[in-house]
Amino acid sequence: MWPIFQNAVARSRGAMLGWGLALGLLGMFMLSFFEILADQKESLERLLASYPPEMMAFFGDTTAMFTPEGFLGVEFFSFMPIVLGIYAVLAGSGLLAADEESGTLDLLLAHPVSRTALFFGRGLAFLTTLLGILGAAWLGLVIGARVYDVDLTATSLLRPFLSLLGELLLFGAFALLLSMFVPSRRLAAMLSGLALMTSYFITSLARINEDLEQAAKFSPLNYYQSGDAITQLNLEWLLGLLVVALVFTLLAWWRFERRDIRVAGEGSWRWPWQQFRTYERKSGLQPR
Amino acid sequence: MEHPLALTTQGLTKSYGSIMALRGVNLEVQRGEIFGFLGPNGSGKTTTIRCLLDLIRPSGGVVRVLGLDPQKDPLAVRARVGYLPGELRLDDNFTVEGALRFLNQLRGGKADWRFVRELAARIDLDLKMLVKNLSKGNKQKVGVVQALMHRPELLLLDEPTSGLDPLVQQTVLRLIAEARAVGATVFFSSHILSEVQEVAERVAIIRQGQIVEVANTQSLLNRALRRAHVRFRQPVDSAPLTALPGVTVLARDDGTSLLMQVEGEMDSLIKTLAAFPVSDFETERPSLEEIFLAYYAPTRGAERN
Repeated sequence: MWPIFQNAVARSRGAMLGWGLALGLLGMFMLSFFEILADQKESLERLLASYPPEMMAFFGDTTAMFTPEGFLGVEFFSFMPIVLGIYAVLAGSGLLAADEESGTLDLLLAHPVSRTALFFGRGLAFLTTLLGILGAAWLGLVIGARVYDVDLTATSLLRPFLSLLGELLLFGAFALLLSMFVPSRRLAAMLSGLALMTSYFITSLARINEDLEQAAKFSPLNYYQSGDAITQLNLEWLLGLLVVALVFTLLAWWRFERRDIRVAGEGSWRWPWQQFRTYERKSGLQPR
Repeated sequence: MEHPLALTTQGLTKSYGSIMALRGVNLEVQRGEIFGFLGPNGSGKTTTIRCLLDLIRPSGGVVRVLGLDPQKDPLAVRARVGYLPGELRLDDNFTVEGALRFLNQLRGGKADWRFVRELAARIDLDLKMLVKNLSKGNKQKVGVVQALMHRPELLLLDEPTSGLDPLVQQTVLRLIAEARAVGATVFFSSHILSEVQEVAERVAIIRQGQIVEVANTQSLLNRALRRAHVRFRQPVDSAPLTALPGVTVLARDDGTSLLMQVEGEMDSLIKTLAAFPVSDFETERPSLEEIFLAYYAPTRGAERN
């Protein structure tokens, strides 16, 4: 498992560096605005009040944005599940399916490497990459808080990243699970991306529409705390996200252990209508 | 005790929904032999090889590789096998040496690096090149080296010379023969019959997921299918010749020349020819390619009909 893990981490170095550095710098940059924002509290409150509630629903509680926690919640953590969620979905769906589609998995699994070792080696590398990206972003905020004298401790800044990690692991694991069932990595990424966006909209709109509150209970992003976690982390929610991520991961592993490794054009799963076309051809039926 | 057979399959089947890729493949490969696995594209060669490595799971039948069940003991099987896939893909981010070192790591560092360098030098492979800059042929060379570098007991090679230039093809065939000489068993698929004819002691021919023939390469070549070319001193009526059982006319030229394919013994043809004014008579053995095509001809005809 170790060489697989090392290789997978090496392959994600670019992603870790790019995403981590960008988010770290973004965090520092955002904190530099906090003091200016606090000075202009009254005029900004008037401006925010003029925005439609449907729009404000996507930013969380803007009334609290003049506190450091609220400010980071609105300006940084509110959109992180989408930004990094897209990365998690792409990385999760491609964890094994990308190599399978490119054909490199065939050679790897012809070596004395068990499917379990490959699966968990890659999974561990995915977790390491996420930790690297989130760690760099956290470091950016910690440095920003020090430099711009914002009253936030390193520990308090760590909490929302834990909540974010739970979300990312859940969507990454969901994409991985889908990639084990659907015919292509792209389709798995598309479906899990769609689930991510749906969850984001339902959770955000449920803040202004009571009818969506029930549906939001099934939305994973409902259990993402954003900047609220800076003051107190909801461990139950985090645990819930991690448990669901673990279930998805175990189901994906179960499937990977049992399925055929595909090569181009061999044993591909096909849509029902494609199967019907084959039946038509074989039986001599012609479509009308 | 070492299992006497390197590889066996009994009634091996594999289906993808309604498509039967393998329909009861029966094979026995002795230890230490070079076994050619022939068949056109889509006949089931790659599917069979991938079942042997547990990359895909058979729908039915029994598979044993070096006496082991690949489904129950895949790691033990793969540790003793060198595999070259038909569609070789390598991680583009590596150098050639990096790719080989990574694959060697997966085998617990079993390969002797001097041997790796020797193999690379013999097939003119630059270890410093980036994989993404390699041509198809050079990537294939990497595949050959990785399959041989840990001196496996069994080599499973799917179209090993695909994409290689003729000189390197010859070197690869020599490497295969050398691996056999030090005790390895080689099972290789190909649709290039000349190379199978050159190195394989036995061949199996697979057609539409079924083995249609397993034979000693030489005996297959010696099989009574021959080509006979007769020239006559004057135009003749060749009807008595073409009416003979097992004789098929391939070409006829104004009654003075006749090219025939003769299946079975030549006795009746020669006795019948005694009554003709023969000026020249030549026979030649068909290549493995012609024998191979002979296996396919009836099916193609049936498909057309």
